Amino acid sequence: MFIEIGHFAVILALVLSVVGIVSPVLGLKTNRPDWVRIGRQAVTLNFFLVSIGMAAMIYSFLTNDYSVRYVAATSNSKLPIFYKVAGLWGGHEGSLLLWVWILTAYSTLVVWMHWRTQPVTMPYLVSVQSLIMFGFLAMIVFLSNPFERIFPVPLDGKDLNPLLQDPAMVVHPPMLYLGYVGFSIPFAFAMAALFSGRLGEEWIKVTQRWTLFAWMALTTGILMGGYWAYYELGWGGYWGWDPVENASFMPWLVGTAFLHSVMVQEKRKMFKVWNLFLIIVTFSLSLIGTFLVRSGVLSSVHSFATDPGRGLYILVFLSVMLALGFGTLIVRSGKLKSQIELDSIISKESAFLFNNLFFLVAAATVFLVTLYPLLIETLKTAKVSVGPPYYNAVFMPVALGLLLMMGIGPSIAWRKASTDNLKKNFLLPTLIAVIATVAAWLIGIRTVFGMAGALTVSFVASTIFIDFAKISALWARRHEINYLLAFYQAFTNNQRRYAGIVTHIGVLVMVVGIIASTVYQVEKVVPMRIGDTMQLKEYTIRMVGLHEVSGANWTAQEGLFEVYKGEELLTVLRPQKRLYPVSQTPTTEAALYTIHLGHVFLTMPEVGSDSVTVRGLINPLILLVWIGGGIMALGVILNIFRPRMKTP
Amino acid sequence: MSKGKKIGLVFSILVIAGGLFYLGLGQFGKNLVYFFTPSEVIGFNQDYYGKKIRVGGMVVQGSMQVVPNTLKISFRLTDGAATIPVDFEGIPPDLFKEGKGAVVEGFWDTQKRFHSNLIMAKHSEDYMPIEMKQAGIQFPKKDLLKTLQQ
Repeated sequence: MFIEIGHFAVILALVLSVVGIVSPVLGLKTNRPDWVRIGRQAVTLNFFLVSIGMAAMIYSFLTNDYSVRYVAATSNSKLPIFYKVAGLWGGHEGSLLLWVWILTAYSTLVVWMHWRTQPVTMPYLVSVQSLIMFGFLAMIVFLSNPFERIFPVPLDGKDLNPLLQDPAMVVHPPMLYLGYVGFSIPFAFAMAALFSGRLGEEWIKVTQRWTLFAWMALTTGILMGGYWAYYELGWGGYWGWDPVENASFMPWLVGTAFLHSVMVQEKRKMFKVWNLFLIIVTFSLSLIGTFLVRSGVLSSVHSFATDPGRGLYILVFLSVMLALGFGTLIVRSGKLKSQIELDSIISKESAFLFNNLFFLVAAATVFLVTLYPLLIETLKTAKVSVGPPYYNAVFMPVALGLLLMMGIGPSIAWRKASTDNLKKNFLLPTLIAVIATVAAWLIGIRTVFGMAGALTVSFVASTIFIDFAKISALWARRHEINYLLAFYQAFTNNQRRYAGIVTHIGVLVMVVGIIASTVYQVEKVVPMRIGDTMQLKEYTIRMVGLHEVSGANWTAQEGLFEVYKGEELLTVLRPQKRLYPVSQTPTTEAALYTIHLGHVFLTMPEVGSDSVTVRGLINPLILLVWIGGGIMALGVILNIFRPRMKTP
Repeated sequence: MSKGKKIGLVFSILVIAGGLFYLGLGQFGKNLVYFFTPSEVIGFNQDYYGKKIRVGGMVVQGSMQVVPNTLKISFRLTDGAATIPVDFEGIPPDLFKEGKGAVVEGFWDTQKRFHSNLIMAKHSEDYMPIEMKQAGIQFPKKDLLKTLQQ
């Protein structure tokens, strides 16, 4: 019964979304403010309606109502409650519902916060947001309906995919969606600016914090996915250039480019068309990202089977959004001519330009290579795939270029940097970078990856350090206070800039983690019996036991491995080979020991009658990848909640 | 900004973008791995010997042999029409099983054996219910190949 109420609520929301599209624009054209207000109410009401739909689904999951097809497919009576709720986004239909629920929540919040201050653009924004809502709700109601019942009712559910039964997987999809959907807000504001003809810097200033939030959610979501892959999939890596990873990475790349290039428009009123282009592309890539994961068109660990009808619908919906975006952009492009020209190649504007260039080339490459197999399949009816080595080879120069820009961009002057400005800001960092690279060579770092990393990371780190030192010294002198207080005051005085730099520091920390864990990873795979030992760098691993354990909905063979460093026993690791009987799915559970920000990583991929296969990894400094991610997120939070700029 | 400088800027952007694309796409051809079925592999001429390819099919029931105390497994892979022997060394994925679909990456040799050290088994939320399997009902062949190729 409850599920029908939810179903009905969502159908009602679909109808209301049409009202949301039409009535504000009509109201604006015919000068009827009450019609505009109806649009606003429709958005708010839709939030409540879709919430009812969500509640109905969650209720069915919690009460094990297997007459609902979707619940029967992604849940089971033995599934822990924690994962029952997460089962909602364990498949295609429920994920879409979550997506649209987040969209209605965002829209309601935006309308509530900006209705008074943005009276001209808000009606258009409501229309655009309602259009996106309509697209997703129509898909939910007509093609991917999670509220559908089945008959005969199965006795029990088929269980949530065991690989998804993991705490990281409970949070990862909602986080990712907060990012994807979050980009709909700057997109809708941009469209509203285009429709209303208010093409100044206003839309950028209003959406700045929204964009930052979306970016942070997407970054965190991607990193959580990486952590899940790292220990749950058991391959000991966090990034494999899987199509689905790429799908989330593309909007991230273009979104990051957007985040930077809007600053140029704010400060110098340049790049107007470019910024609109970037946000349209970012949001379109978010849509592609959502669909790629769930459509099953690309081979990936995440692919879910689906029927071709959905694929066609997705393509049509995407085309509508793209046509709408680029169509209005072209129509309005005459009004968007920027009067200001670039003064010099050696300037902050141009640093931003090159930053954008690198991000866009990266995104374009990932896009082409991810979709190339699809193209080949359609044209030549051959199946191909492109391996991670290719991506790694292409990405290294791009990443180095971006890192270099990260050092230059924040310190170089606007308009035209004088030789003096360059000397003052970059002479010392360049020297330090050269010394650091030589030092890296001397201590035995010989790989190109490691050397290039030492060069760029030390360069960027020293520009940041010098920046902080200078500003602290300046404030200390001016206000006669100590350096620490001076640093704090200088930081909060221009928190937007320095929060950004905190995010940059996070990137540096992450880069160190990525390089160390890639270049200095040690891997061994050996068959072992009880009593055998294996040597991994300075660690000795001794197998001391193998026994059976069981959990709520699984049974497992658990190995006992003592980890020694010299004579000292560090820990006992317990990797498992699990079996989830409901779906007859085995999984490999990794065991980790954290030491010096790195991991001793053990899995037991095969348990034979005679011996077990043991895979051991040493991943030095790998935790820096996620610590760096945390610092990046912290930077964004400091940026969103920055105090108003004071005039010194 | 003077015209000359503007040209310089556009030029440098083009050079960098072009360089990156060249770096990227130049390596591209070498990194493509093609996908075949056992029937196609059986018909290979020597042009294909030793080339890195992927082959998808079903692991034949009862064909799996594990060499004790090594990481070596040999089995046969079929698409219904043709069957090829596979020598694998490495860690098979959790979902690798007899009677299930798998995609193997490696090369085909002159002795007509496939050598691989990478197996991919597909997972999806659409499991085949146990009851169906116990009753001996198998997926129709066409559907099987479709799921494999995804």
